[in-house]
Amino acid sequence: MTGHPANGLDDIVHQRVRLGILTVAHEARRADFGYLRDTLELTAGNLSQHLSVLENAGLIAIEKGYAGKRARTWISLTKAGHTALSEEIANLKLLIRHIEHPKTPPD
Amino acid sequence: MTSDSIQSGDDPHRLLLSARELTRRVRRTQRATWFPLLVFAAVTFASIPVLRYTGNHLGPCRAVPGGRICKVYSNAQFVYWPIALVLAYVAIATFYVRRSRARGVGTRVRPYAIAGIIVAAALTGVSLWELHNPLVDQTSVGLNGLPHRLVSPGAAIGLALLVLAWAERNRALPLLILGYLAVVLVPITFGWVNASPPWLFVPPLVIDGSVLLLGGIGFALAQRPLRTPAP
Repeated sequence: MTGHPANGLDDIVHQRVRLGILTVAHEARRADFGYLRDTLELTAGNLSQHLSVLENAGLIAIEKGYAGKRARTWISLTKAGHTALSEEIANLKLLIRHIEHPKTPPD
Repeated sequence: MTSDSIQSGDDPHRLLLSARELTRRVRRTQRATWFPLLVFAAVTFASIPVLRYTGNHLGPCRAVPGGRICKVYSNAQFVYWPIALVLAYVAIATFYVRRSRARGVGTRVRPYAIAGIIVAAALTGVSLWELHNPLVDQTSVGLNGLPHRLVSPGAAIGLALLVLAWAERNRALPLLILGYLAVVLVPITFGWVNASPPWLFVPPLVIDGSVLLLGGIGFALAQRPLRTPAP
């Protein structure tokens, strides 16, 4: 294991869509499936696949319920999800700094 | 090299930019700043007839050379405002929750509603206490009136709005709040201090309500393009 910041990146989180899901869920506190689908411009099937990956990793919680007669699926971050997101953002910033200033030693 | 293996779509710059843009979009979806401003403008304007036509009560008096000075306050002052503020926060919280559910996101209104009710209760308590234990010469105009205005309903509304600005991560709202608190706390008279006593309290309320109303309209216009119905 080297000190390169890219080594700290989590393969599950370091992906555009999954990072987007975590970001939206973090900022929104909880996000509806339809909101995520529209915001991230995904198909329902594609979003479901990414949600399954994140749920299996314990990063999100999925709650199904009803709003009136309408079925709703709400996605929220778990504690591990919050940690994973903040670590990913910190590592991305570190990686950018490393790329832009190669001599800067990693923290 | 490790960094070379990163796919172009997962470029750190793009990922960070994408995360920031998503954060902005969620915040825009959640914001409904115009609603509390319009609610409090309505509450402020509605207070004028209530305070004017519910009769007055003679408060504590103190002796001065040549007579005595008594504080006169409306019978509804300590009834209307606490009830109106609490009802307003309940209405605002209900609106935010329903709206956020319809849009498919959570809401951050709870700290604002809780802070608003606490501030309203605390300032009403201080105001009641101060009524019977005047710390300074009670006047509505002049710097001596500042402590009185600090515990006024307008100050309670403004202080709680600061919590809303924080909860909504709204950078424009603090500017409006500063202007609002300025007109609430700083004496602006334009000469109505010589007006007929029954209506003396009206101009400050009209100014306070107008600032909230204009602010509410401004935020409603600014946030209008995003207020689309949920799919």
